[in-house]
Amino acid sequence: MDISTTQHGNGVTEIGVTGRLNMVTAARVRDAIQTAVESNHPRVAVDLSGVLFLDSSGLGALIAGLKTAREAGGDVRLVRPTEQVELVLDLTNMGTVLKSFDSVESAYPHG
Amino acid sequence: MGEMVTRTLRLMSPPDTVDTVHDLLDSTWEAVPDLHMRDRMALDTAIIELAANVIQHANRGRPITATLTIIAFTDRIEATLSDSGEIGEVDIEGRTMPEADELAESGRGIALMKALVDTVEHRRVDGFNHWTLVRAREQVRIPDAPPKHMPSVSISGIIDEMARQRALEEMGILDTPPEDRFDRVTRLAKQLFGVDGAMINLIDGDRQWAKSVAGNGPEEMPRSASVCAVTIEDERTLVVPNLFENPELRDKAVADELVFYAGHPLHAPGGERIGALCVYDGSPRTFSEREQEMLRDLADWVQQELTASHELSRAAEVQQGLLPQSLISMPGWDIAGMCLPARAVGGDFYDWYPVGEGAAITLADTMGKGIGSAIIAATVRAVLRSAARFGDVAGAVDLAAASLNADLDTTGLFVTLLHGRLDMDTGEFTYVDAGHGLTVVARRDGTIERLRSSTPPLGVDLDTEWQSSSVTLNPGDVLITASDGLLDLYDGTLDALDKIGALALLASTSSEVTDAVRTRARGVAPDDVTVVVVRRDG
Repeated sequence: MDISTTQHGNGVTEIGVTGRLNMVTAARVRDAIQTAVESNHPRVAVDLSGVLFLDSSGLGALIAGLKTAREAGGDVRLVRPTEQVELVLDLTNMGTVLKSFDSVESAYPHG
Repeated sequence: MGEMVTRTLRLMSPPDTVDTVHDLLDSTWEAVPDLHMRDRMALDTAIIELAANVIQHANRGRPITATLTIIAFTDRIEATLSDSGEIGEVDIEGRTMPEADELAESGRGIALMKALVDTVEHRRVDGFNHWTLVRAREQVRIPDAPPKHMPSVSISGIIDEMARQRALEEMGILDTPPEDRFDRVTRLAKQLFGVDGAMINLIDGDRQWAKSVAGNGPEEMPRSASVCAVTIEDERTLVVPNLFENPELRDKAVADELVFYAGHPLHAPGGERIGALCVYDGSPRTFSEREQEMLRDLADWVQQELTASHELSRAAEVQQGLLPQSLISMPGWDIAGMCLPARAVGGDFYDWYPVGEGAAITLADTMGKGIGSAIIAATVRAVLRSAARFGDVAGAVDLAAASLNADLDTTGLFVTLLHGRLDMDTGEFTYVDAGHGLTVVARRDGTIERLRSSTPPLGVDLDTEWQSSSVTLNPGDVLITASDGLLDLYDGTLDALDKIGALALLASTSSEVTDAVRTRARGVAPDDVTVVVVRRDG
């Protein structure tokens, strides 16, 4: 799994993930969100277009990140989840809390 | 069923992770024609959840080995993960999806699996966990239908049969002689329903074996010809008014002998269906609701007999395990003991173990026979063992009696006891005889001395002052102590002890004496028989 963090001028942190987001890689995603929150950029967009597989551990990492971000007044929003990721979000009913968008811009439209 | 694709992976974690499982899945799916994208996605997700669950939880962080087998049938895909983890029972039914707004970070794995496939099963057999997932393929799936339990046809069937066979073998009932407690039930069933016969059949590998037959049924027959083998596939009572009219069972019918059949499954203590109680007749007949109820009651009765004997044989193993197995090092001495309970378990025990420079030796007889006495006997043994570490012989018995008095008082039991300590250098045996009085010393010159009992049994008088006596064993002398069951093997009087004493002087080892008693007692002893023989070389 590869993970990259991009800081946008409007304060949004974009975290791009590619590969499998499972028990092996979950901690790294959680840490990346944590780092963004700690550097006072708690509005996070996780680009999942490169994630072909998400399991409940990976989902747990996104939820942990979401809680951290919300406590700091931010949020975690998902960008372009793949079909399998949507399936997991759907079956776990977490799609209502971790909302999906077509792009980083539409995730945080007002900057 | 069409073509079938099977793949098996052996997983060792660490170093393997769920990524290893991903690789197996990718290679498996390549070989499965027409695999629908939705099936693939659902199975990938469910199987990885399962593997992650096993790797994370099953062995509490310790290394784990597991085997994953995937079988793709044309209408369904089955996956079984068998692992060596310690996890016991799993409440699959009770695992529901956490509410989204609770933001739980974990606890979704099993609920997610249940949402993705039609069947999630967990079995624990022989120290292994077997997880089975079954998903009906899109080709046969009814659109928008909720997941429906789909029994696995391959793997779990084999596992069930293994568990069943093992449970049956553990009961130790196969090929045992007829027993009245079972024959009573079949006789009654035959009479009650007015049929040609009734049987208790056990399904063992590829044969049916009858534990009890009332009528002219066969003691053994091939499983393929057995109707009871069909009965055990389900929990319900199987009633077939006329086998010749049943398309699936027609080939098992025998004209004028086996036409009507009714059977109810019997279970091992762990719940495995191991056989059936059945009634049969050479003519067709009906079997009312009420008759079915009576058959079930009779099956329950058989069940209780089966369970009782199983539990008792386990208890007997445990009790035999409490007897000293290996000889402690006693240079210049030869010690042997035997304990033969009249029932599966008994109230006698003997014990020996090193204490300081010498050896403590105990023989105790709890009033009564059977389980109640056995429980008290185990308690007496434990209490004496710990008390023997403190003080002298009389002090140890005093301490033990003080701890046991309340228990003995409550249960209304008492215990006779010889507890002594042997100084291996001098041959001095210091002992307390609590109402026992069944100990002799056979001297090398042929004289037999009986040791006196100076105090009452434990549990009789709470204020007893325990006093020890002593006797010295010289080279060539033998000390023999026994429970009163030994007397019944002879003329019922204390003369039996003299006879054993004389025998002991003729024998060249202590175990020759215990073997002789064991041979004499086998099958005829009405009471528990226990003997300990201590010989000083010379």
